[in-house]
Amino acid sequence: MSVFRPGFLELGRLWETKPLERNYEVVIVGGGIHGLATAYYLAKEHGIRDVAVLEREYIGFGGSGRNTAIVRANQRTQENVRLYDEGLKLWPVLTDELDFNLMFYNCGNLNLAHSEAAVSSFRLAINTANFYGVRSELLDPQQCKEVVPALDISDRPKHPIQAGMYHPPGGVVRHDAVVWGLAKGASAHGVAIHQGVGVEGIDVDGGRITGVRTSEGRIGCDKLGIMAGGYGTAVCAMLDIELPVNPLTIQAMVTQPLKPFLHHVVSSGAYHVYANQTLKGEIATGAHMDPQVNYTTDVTAYYFKHQAEALTDFMPCLKDVRFLRIWAGLADMTPDMAPILDGNFAYDGLYLDVGWGYFGFKSGPITGKYMADFIAREEAPEILRPFALRRFLENRYMGETATAMKYGQWD
Amino acid sequence: MTFRLTCPVCGPRDVYEFRYGGPERGPRPDQEDLDPEAHFRWAQFRMTRPEAQEEWWYHAGGCGVWFSTVRNPATNREETS
Amino acid sequence: MTRLPRSSALRIDTDRRLRFSWCGSARAGYEGDTVASALWSSGVRTFGRSFEYHRPRGLYDLEGEGASQLVSIDGVPNQSAGTTLLREGMAVAAQNVRGDPRSDAFGFLDRLDRWMPAGFYYRVFHRPHAAAHFVHNRMRAMAGLGILDVSTSGDPGRREEIFLNADVAVIGGGAAGMRAALAAAGAGTRVCLFERRPWLGGHLDWRLGLEGADGPDSPRARGRALAEHVGSDARIRVFTSAPVTGIWGENLVTGFQRVGAADPFVERHWECRARTIVVATGALERPLVFNHNDRPGVMQADTAWRLARTYGVSPGAVVVFSAGDDLALEAALDLLSLGVDVPAIADSRPEGQDPELVSRIAESGAELLTGWAASQVVGRRVVRGVQLAEIGGSTRREFPCDVVVANAGRQPDIGALSCAGARFRHSTHTGSFELASLPSDVFAAGRVLGLTDSVEIEATGTLAGLEAASACGASVSGTLAAARAEVAEGAGAPPGTGIVRGPDIGEGRKAFLDYDEDGTWKNAVQCAALGFDVPELAKRFGNFGLGPGQYRVPGQNVAMAMAEIEGRPASDVASTTVRPPIIPPSLATLAGPNHDVHKRTPLHEDQAARGGVFRRAGAWKRARYFSADYTCREEIRNVRENVGLLDSSPLGKFRIWGPHALHALQRVYISDMRKATRGRCKYSAMCNDTGNVVDDGVVIPVGEDDYYFTTSSNRAGSTVEWFRYHTRYDGWDYNLLNLTDALASINLAGPEARAVLERVTDADLSNDAFPYLGYRVIPVGDGVEARCMRLGFVGELSYELHVGASYAQYAWDLLWDAGAELGIRPFGLEAQYCMRAEKGHVIIGAESEQRVTLLDIGMGWLWDRSDTASKKVGAPALRACEEQDGRLELVGLRIDDAGHRPEDGAIVVDGDRIAGYVCTTRVSGALGYQYGLALVEEGFAVEGTTLSIYEHLRSDDVRTSATVVPPHFYDPKGERLRV
Repeated sequence: MSVFRPGFLELGRLWETKPLERNYEVVIVGGGIHGLATAYYLAKEHGIRDVAVLEREYIGFGGSGRNTAIVRANQRTQENVRLYDEGLKLWPVLTDELDFNLMFYNCGNLNLAHSEAAVSSFRLAINTANFYGVRSELLDPQQCKEVVPALDISDRPKHPIQAGMYHPPGGVVRHDAVVWGLAKGASAHGVAIHQGVGVEGIDVDGGRITGVRTSEGRIGCDKLGIMAGGYGTAVCAMLDIELPVNPLTIQAMVTQPLKPFLHHVVSSGAYHVYANQTLKGEIATGAHMDPQVNYTTDVTAYYFKHQAEALTDFMPCLKDVRFLRIWAGLADMTPDMAPILDGNFAYDGLYLDVGWGYFGFKSGPITGKYMADFIAREEAPEILRPFALRRFLENRYMGETATAMKYGQWD
Repeated sequence: MTFRLTCPVCGPRDVYEFRYGGPERGPRPDQEDLDPEAHFRWAQFRMTRPEAQEEWWYHAGGCGVWFSTVRNPATNREETS
Repeated sequence: MTRLPRSSALRIDTDRRLRFSWCGSARAGYEGDTVASALWSSGVRTFGRSFEYHRPRGLYDLEGEGASQLVSIDGVPNQSAGTTLLREGMAVAAQNVRGDPRSDAFGFLDRLDRWMPAGFYYRVFHRPHAAAHFVHNRMRAMAGLGILDVSTSGDPGRREEIFLNADVAVIGGGAAGMRAALAAAGAGTRVCLFERRPWLGGHLDWRLGLEGADGPDSPRARGRALAEHVGSDARIRVFTSAPVTGIWGENLVTGFQRVGAADPFVERHWECRARTIVVATGALERPLVFNHNDRPGVMQADTAWRLARTYGVSPGAVVVFSAGDDLALEAALDLLSLGVDVPAIADSRPEGQDPELVSRIAESGAELLTGWAASQVVGRRVVRGVQLAEIGGSTRREFPCDVVVANAGRQPDIGALSCAGARFRHSTHTGSFELASLPSDVFAAGRVLGLTDSVEIEATGTLAGLEAASACGASVSGTLAAARAEVAEGAGAPPGTGIVRGPDIGEGRKAFLDYDEDGTWKNAVQCAALGFDVPELAKRFGNFGLGPGQYRVPGQNVAMAMAEIEGRPASDVASTTVRPPIIPPSLATLAGPNHDVHKRTPLHEDQAARGGVFRRAGAWKRARYFSADYTCREEIRNVRENVGLLDSSPLGKFRIWGPHALHALQRVYISDMRKATRGRCKYSAMCNDTGNVVDDGVVIPVGEDDYYFTTSSNRAGSTVEWFRYHTRYDGWDYNLLNLTDALASINLAGPEARAVLERVTDADLSNDAFPYLGYRVIPVGDGVEARCMRLGFVGELSYELHVGASYAQYAWDLLWDAGAELGIRPFGLEAQYCMRAEKGHVIIGAESEQRVTLLDIGMGWLWDRSDTASKKVGAPALRACEEQDGRLELVGLRIDDAGHRPEDGAIVVDGDRIAGYVCTTRVSGALGYQYGLALVEEGFAVEGTTLSIYEHLRSDDVRTSATVVPPHFYDPKGERLRV
């Protein structure tokens, strides 16, 4: 098998443009990773090819094109570890299936602890991960420094490093490539991808979904998947469905390109920072979320400055580096930091995939796979059952975060 | 963007001086015979439409007043009637 | 390094020679030179190698518009040669180079472009999977530009930050910006003017007029006269060398300022909150796309012009122009007047040139070819010549030369306006973007509007300044009308070239749209063929406009090229959004002083002197340990056997009073607060709306409708907010005062606590007079008033004394001296943490989390479940969960295996699933065994159950077991508290 294959020089459209039909068996709202993956698996594994993906802007416009690109499976609770672990193992499989280089860079993730309490919470995550066969190790500061030489492990920083959680199976996947690869695969299996088609309303009849009203007219459907990322709450509002989800703006930025020196994903809760070096050599970094619900992708001077303060405090070699670009996306936050995956709960034929917060990328394809199963069989696969909306009506949170909420899930 | 909010006491100030307190949900419901689901819906469930909504803010970096104002999640701006 | 004859526009001081090095070899320049002008003057043509193909790159622009002119300076990567002033002794080096930049070992990559179509890496290298990681690492190693030394801690120079307020912020100190500033200031408003170059004047600064004589009517003289006016107007604060990084909504303008050796700081970050903004950022040259348009020696018209006039450096011996606007023609004439050989000037406009420029060029002897443009550069490493071709024709001519000046006309510098929220559309008239809409309170003037006539440029400046002043409320009615009339009389923006590529470029294999990431015309064609027809997608897939130059190079060319390739009308060209920063700031400058802001208790220094090891705890730094033994065995033993002192000053301390104080307490506390009685501490907790415990503390009535209460340290900052939030609809009348910082808190604990306290107070401390949970105000020492509570968080007889913060050291010293013979020692937070765990006292965050309610952690006895009238926060959730099964519960653990103690965070397992986790475990000297607290599923919470515990320690799976016991280990009956 050759690394270079002559086929890549042939230039044909990666995905087809098809005429917009008036009726589909399944309509998916949102042309991001979740929507495209669900459509792909519906067509590929369940033979349901009469599927349309409706994207208001262009594919990958929302969170799929604006995320950390980080993948990992060291979650806090067992329900989540199982799902994310399957998701992590899917990247190489998907790369092969789609015949598209998703550039899974299995570099490992290093999360930093700056207090005794954070070390304890790392131990919990590490024990949970390893119990399910997911590698994750506790490192002392010196070991952290060996993994990431750019770290300052002295007592000088505001939050001195006390330990690290090193998670070798994690890494980075090129997020845009996942969107394009899934579009290619879905299209090859017969899915219709429609860009520039915005959903403006949803039609129901006697407790059943019957179709959507779009900028291009009404489209009938038997089943509707709302997989619109941060805009999912706005789509649900068209059905007057309230959710324990707040769409918040999360910002990220890159520096000028540098020769590789940061070979792992580094993150720190105390500093509110993640950072990794892209294939192009930029340091991609971010994590700040503004607390008020909103659908904008506004960036702020406050955070731009804050990020420089945080990064240079624990990686002082970055002081002379320059920021090149800042942008923002939406994170649809739930109070327990776990998503809502549900179906047939308010209307028959309605399927919902929302509330991923900032974990939506890493879990995208695996969720699409199981949501496709859910839609096809009309019954939740066992692995998705803990993620049903009902948990919030019974006060049974999943505990992906330990923190109890204050007034709402934003704080 | 770095927008400003108008504190009823201190006037227009940078939004980072304030803490967000969520949309207006009405007063705390009576607890006599309160249905648990109704309580959790009141406490946690929200309908965020991309249009102006009344919401609560606290001037944490200033005078310490809770006040309600109208802001549009579609624009991230306060709207004065 | 001979320079051109002196002229009045020169910005270098030829009397002050500066030595520097280039890739190790000695060079020299003059004070006032930028690194770029000094390099060019000393004969350097190749500044570095390109990102993907390793093509040689030289001096294209002088404004830091792209990656080509990024160099390493004194080991710091990615510095802009064009905007960094030369300093004595600088070590400058090329980037992305193996060996000499002229010959670079990776130069062969340029010949492999056929194998690297747009986005090729998405479609190869992924099979076999085992090889993918290897290939990925090789690709990573090739990527990036500068090399960062990870052992450095950055430029040690100090940074400052300044926060400005202005009525009018003017961005750009050219003719339009200066006129705007003067007009606004003249109307009585306060103006801040920001200019990225070290001087004001914009284009005027290097233009000596067509006579080349720099007379009193020359543009340069005009520029300096305006600059003098601006400088002498006290209402205008001028910032030069101050690039704008962004406009962030509601007119917050940010930037940085490079400062000279006389300044105590090396750079400063500034933020200006302005009421209005005038943007006068001028125009950028739009690159002409032709084959090998990136060769060292191809440059912008302004680059050649400024090299000659600002720095006195001849751009080349023979310079051929492929111009797209009148400024470029003026530049050619000016170079001719300086004796530079300019044999040919192509102008891609078939007509519309300034007739005076045309006739002067004819007089000069240079050949003017209108309707022509460059199609190809000759020369493999540097420019040896250029082929010009007739647009739409078949005639070509080749000219030997060493410099090619090329542009496709100008495009407005839309960066600042776009960040401010302005919208643009493509104009077929100017062949460029034009303003479609402006946000309110933002105004634009000058070349950013597409104007070229100097009178019109100044008139729009004046108008914008007056409009801005008017928006600030200044009275300008008369002058505003006149200024509007003057602008209305102007001819407006002249037509532009509308072209992107030169004629006859073939498939454009080496015709670069984006120099920064080596995006060619051919790549754009490939993007379209693959279906990336949305410009935003083409940008991402083909990497156009994402490199260090961002929107500048390639500017709007990508959008125009995609429209042309797809056969869409030019009117369908979409403008791209500019993302901040407009000019990249260094992280050090953005971070500024970056102070380590934290609170210290009044006893901080004392504890430090006694060996305290401090940790950040919320807003505070607190002593966590008092020895290198982090198990705190001695600290604990001393409290258990003698007496210890803890500085608990960060504890939340509040007074609430007024007619409805009790209503408020009833709302937020879960207990019946009516039962609180004077002289006694009532312990209770606060819940949130899901029944989680968010705070606990004691409440003491101290007067009529007057209470003193404590909160946990972490909640002190949000307690007022919490009370007010949960009572915001009720209209209750109460006052709430945060006394946390005003009062210090000292915890005196241990069997000898009473004996110590008796030595410093006259108050009766006997068990009858001051029992457990009592509250007394007692005098200590010379009569300092202390609020004293008899509590038992650590499980021993203890007194908590709250004294005015300024008396803290006095009280501490008194207790210290009084306890000297009784073995008094300080103890820290970890010792307290262990001792309270032995008592089974929960710490919020350690043994509670969002999955457990007040009931789940065994504190249900606090809840007054009969009270629905107070609408207690959390009560509905507790009621809903009271009868639920399958919840987590807090249990005590007695760890069976004496050898291994599972650590905090160990998990409780049930076969192949997890059934809970261990929150805290410690070994207890007092108990003589290992104990712990855990949250486990209900079925495992029964006393006597054996729990299976799993840990992953240093790559090994370790299993231990523990027995469930009541979570009260030490002195379960609380006898020691009541002695």
